[in-house]
Amino acid sequence: MPSKPVLFTAAALIAAGVIFGVIFWLTSRANDTTTFALLHTGKTIAENGRDGQPACVQCHGGNGEGNRAMGAPRLAGMPAGYLEKQLHDFARNPLKAGVTLDPIAHDYNKTPKIQVDLTALTPGVRRVDAMNAISATLNAQEVKAVAFYFSSLGYNFTAIPSDPETLARGEDLALRGKPEYGIPACASCHGADGKGYGNHFPPIAGQAPEYIVQQLNQWQTGARDNDQMALMRNIAEQLTDGDKINVAAYFANIAVSSTGGVSSP
Amino acid sequence: MNSFSKSVILSAVSILCTLHVAKAEKLGGELDSLEVRPTLVKPQLSLPTKLTEVHVASPGEFFVPPNVADIPNDKYGDMVRMGREIFVNTQISAGRYVGNALNCQSCHLQEGRKPYAMPIWGAFGMYPMFRNKTRSVVTYEQRIQDCFRFSLNGIPPSVDSPEMQALVAYSHWLSRGAPIGVELPGRSLPGLMRTEDPSPQRGEIVYTTRCAMCHGELGLGKKTADGTQYAFPPLWGPDSFNKGAGIFRVRTAAQYIKANMPLGQGFTISDQEALDVAAYIWIQDRPKDPRVGYILDFLLPRTGAP
Repeated sequence: MPSKPVLFTAAALIAAGVIFGVIFWLTSRANDTTTFALLHTGKTIAENGRDGQPACVQCHGGNGEGNRAMGAPRLAGMPAGYLEKQLHDFARNPLKAGVTLDPIAHDYNKTPKIQVDLTALTPGVRRVDAMNAISATLNAQEVKAVAFYFSSLGYNFTAIPSDPETLARGEDLALRGKPEYGIPACASCHGADGKGYGNHFPPIAGQAPEYIVQQLNQWQTGARDNDQMALMRNIAEQLTDGDKINVAAYFANIAVSSTGGVSSP
Repeated sequence: MNSFSKSVILSAVSILCTLHVAKAEKLGGELDSLEVRPTLVKPQLSLPTKLTEVHVASPGEFFVPPNVADIPNDKYGDMVRMGREIFVNTQISAGRYVGNALNCQSCHLQEGRKPYAMPIWGAFGMYPMFRNKTRSVVTYEQRIQDCFRFSLNGIPPSVDSPEMQALVAYSHWLSRGAPIGVELPGRSLPGLMRTEDPSPQRGEIVYTTRCAMCHGELGLGKKTADGTQYAFPPLWGPDSFNKGAGIFRVRTAAQYIKANMPLGQGFTISDQEALDVAAYIWIQDRPKDPRVGYILDFLLPRTGAP
């Protein structure tokens, strides 16, 4: 017969195991219900719209595959964080964007070093009339749900053919950039296959070439200004019209597909 | 003049003098030296529009290497293509020589073409060259071997190995039309102005605001979705360059950061900020210098000079 302390320790270990198991089960179950609720809310809003606003699927397609003729981009399989940020930026009033920085304090003893805080840049704006109106009606939870719903959808993008010279020039810009102008390669952030990286570097493969050109034009005019540290803006400002067409043709020439799936929200 | 009047005059003068001194002292005492000291940092204010002024290099200033589509279709061209493949994808094409997770292209940006990012066309014509690091004249092949040994933290390929021959062929093709032995504009790295001493504390702030988005909060880089390669290279940690690499020197790293980082925004960071963030990177842990034994590496202070 084992001694009392040993029995006590064993009992305590078993009890702790049971308690942790129950907690884990409850949390995972709660996670499942959150995921399900998010997907359900997102799907409802995507298909029915909200407050009389047009539904997402009217322009972006029933499965978020986009509509090339209307200039509506693919949403299916885009990173949820990226979609969420875009919706918030659409909803932001362009007049109120930006931050007011206090003038420099005269008491240098209290502010000995003034650091350039580049987070001041991040609240950006995108001016697209239809999307500005629609996004303003959604609250934060609904934005999250819609973004999560579209990110969970699968898609199948067939390559759009183009002439070899355009593709070769597009490839040159996509893989090597323009070193003598200081323009980095698209591939260095968006990936050589254009699949993007994380929430800040969206996929550019699997979008219609017209959409890519339109976005680059919007970066140049300032209608779109919502990147981190003005990274994309500085690059887009230096691109010529020919560059835009070539690089859009190159990335539209890549076939990409995904079966979709749910990651944790 | 009698002694009384003398003493009266002397005392009056001395009283006046003390009064004057007292007044001067009082003036100095009113203004605390800490309050009137001007700040050492030039105040900068970011405005929400047109925030970053990018250094516009005149493109005619730099040597333009040939186009990849113009690689000849012969055996020389095959060698050049193999060299380019190794240069871009060192992890796979020359993986047996590499001890960390970097590619040649991780530092020599845009396939070794970018001016002020140690472009290959700027280096090829300068070798053989005397190097202070080895205190001897080294050939181009020996220089590439040092890249593998220090920056790639691996084993140097022998001079007659196919990888080395391909890399030399690629460098030769990339430098077509560039003069031999001439210091071309955009070669190597730009100079730095004289600054304050670098401060890793200030560097940490620069790192968090401008570098961490891509290189990660911990500086360990960010891997691609499949986890085999790095999308953004690690700046320290086991997968980064070792303490013998040239870019481990604070000044070299600062020069590189100033000219090239963040991507597409070269020359937007001040020299002081570049040095600060380079010092912050320098104090982090990374593989040891292969020229130093394990015991010495443990006992000695850090290698590399700031």
